[in-house]
Amino acid sequence: MDIQGKRTGIVVLIALLWGTISILGWNNMYMPGLYLGVLLMLLHMVLGVSAKQKLSLKFLVYPLLPWAAIWALSFYLSDMYANAFAGVMPSFSILGFHPSFSWTVILYWVGGMLTLTWGFIMNKDEWLSSDDWDEFKKKVALIDQKQKGGQ
Amino acid sequence: MSGAVKFAIIGFSFAMLVISLLIGLWSKKKVTSAKEYFGSTGLFGPVAVGLSSTAAVASAFALVGVPGLIYSTGNAMNFWMLSSAAFAMAYIILGKKIRAMAEIGEVASLGDISDLRFNNNRLIKGLMSVIIFLGCIAYLAAQIKAGSELFNNLLGWNPILTGFIIFGILTVYTAISGEVGGLLTQAFQGLVMIVAGLIIIVSFFVMTGGFENVLEVVANAGTISAGDISKSFGPDLLNAWGVLPKSISMAWVIIPILGTVGQPQVLTRMYALKDPKDMPKLGLYAGLAHMVVGFFALVVAYGALYLVGSGKISPLAVADNAIFAYADYLGLYAQLFVYAAVLAAALSSASMFLTLSGNIIARDLPSALGKEFASGEKQMKVAKITIYGIGILSILFSLTSAEMVAILGTFGWGTLMSGTFPVFIIGLLWKKANSKGVTVGLLISLVLNIASLAGLKWPGALPWYVNVISLSIMATVFISLITKEEKIGEKLDLVMDL
Repeated sequence: MDIQGKRTGIVVLIALLWGTISILGWNNMYMPGLYLGVLLMLLHMVLGVSAKQKLSLKFLVYPLLPWAAIWALSFYLSDMYANAFAGVMPSFSILGFHPSFSWTVILYWVGGMLTLTWGFIMNKDEWLSSDDWDEFKKKVALIDQKQKGGQ
Repeated sequence: MSGAVKFAIIGFSFAMLVISLLIGLWSKKKVTSAKEYFGSTGLFGPVAVGLSSTAAVASAFALVGVPGLIYSTGNAMNFWMLSSAAFAMAYIILGKKIRAMAEIGEVASLGDISDLRFNNNRLIKGLMSVIIFLGCIAYLAAQIKAGSELFNNLLGWNPILTGFIIFGILTVYTAISGEVGGLLTQAFQGLVMIVAGLIIIVSFFVMTGGFENVLEVVANAGTISAGDISKSFGPDLLNAWGVLPKSISMAWVIIPILGTVGQPQVLTRMYALKDPKDMPKLGLYAGLAHMVVGFFALVVAYGALYLVGSGKISPLAVADNAIFAYADYLGLYAQLFVYAAVLAAALSSASMFLTLSGNIIARDLPSALGKEFASGEKQMKVAKITIYGIGILSILFSLTSAEMVAILGTFGWGTLMSGTFPVFIIGLLWKKANSKGVTVGLLISLVLNIASLAGLKWPGALPWYVNVISLSIMATVFISLITKEEKIGEKLDLVMDL
């Protein structure tokens, strides 16, 4: 996916998201803040993955989008069960945890870590292939040679 | 605690300290240039770098302060402690670019990367160095205080004497072997934390019978009192948000996860990795190590809640003693590993921040002020003297200015993030980030960090550093947007396109 020309837009969106999340935080609007936080992290990773102004669709489809969905779902379920059992002993537990916190453990912690880390390993060439790295080093060496020659 | 137990704990912890010293002395052989001394640039594989990164990120606060916070206010802090995905995220965002910078010029410190990105702009380098130095000293002082108090409480030793023995040894091996010894000793200390974590995690299940029993106890215990001290329990303590304002949970998701990429102890480790293509493996190893340490803190907090809630121990007078109360209840094996793990956490973070501070004072700040050393040898000599100086002054400061250390303790993670985001994250992800934008972003960060230290109040319940980071990033982006784009060199262009 070509992101040439979109990079500045994404960076401006990142800046606006920081401001918006802070204002939401001042007003204790934590759920919109958390969802926008996921978007903020996703945008940083989109910029980090993209090479030569192109974003790998494969990397976006896995692991980035599943990770974002897993985290958004984790926050939604954590809040839903916190509200459902506010002030009372929950009628059930998941893995022994309060149902609200269980989704933090299952989706936010284990699910998020494994999805992002494993996806990174599986699609490592989409992030940086051996060819890209070798080509980069060759080009740097060429520029160095050119600069030495010019001296 | 009996004399024999105290003796065993001292023996175990000091054995770890001596092994760290030996690793540091051995590492000296690997240091053949200033680049290696200051940055370990391109020297290590993903296992050593992963363990070292986790150990440097997980400070004594992670093992002492976090269980205390969870004991007092419930699960909110677990968002921070369970942020193991942050390593992969950090490397995805910036790993290849930081590592590639080490291919286009000499990179042995963060200031070197700033020079390469912003054409040797001294103001940017100077401002960034001052902000990072502030965060480093805050961290360093907190580690020294925590490590010294640990043995002061246990043995009744004079805190200054304890500080000089423990952190004096650390200062010696850090000064002698620089970042090479720093990275390897941190990897060893990370391993100690993991072994201790695994043992304590197993013991938690044996003692409590599992999380369901903890939930049952915490939900039904009501208020437990002993003398003047009481502890109120309730089911909401163990929902995802705990009992703090929920916007704090929001901050404790975004700041540790995204902030990991802005921590000097993570950024410097990106260029210490030999082969950048190992970065995904590094994410896995660091993430798995962090998972053990994170779960370690969680079970300690839950264990302390279970013990107090079920009446097995009295309510804690000081919440930060949760980990020690839990270990003392479990017995000698837990005490040995818990005390060693807390010491390992303090040592690993302290050595990281000591070398970072040394690099700033001996390398980055002089260069920002226009002073260049004649040779790498001379620079290393100055750095060694500086590390000894900072080490001694930090020990004295930490143990004689309790109030100032407590105030500085609120600095650290957020301050470091606000000093690195404009230069490295925005700067390396966006070609239009220019020196005017980054300078204004850093100035705002410095002024607001100091104003917050002086007591500036911010709206809402958000931790203050969220506001500082937001304003500094927004200023960097919008000033860069409305001012003239700067031409970047061919090699830098290649890095930013990678």
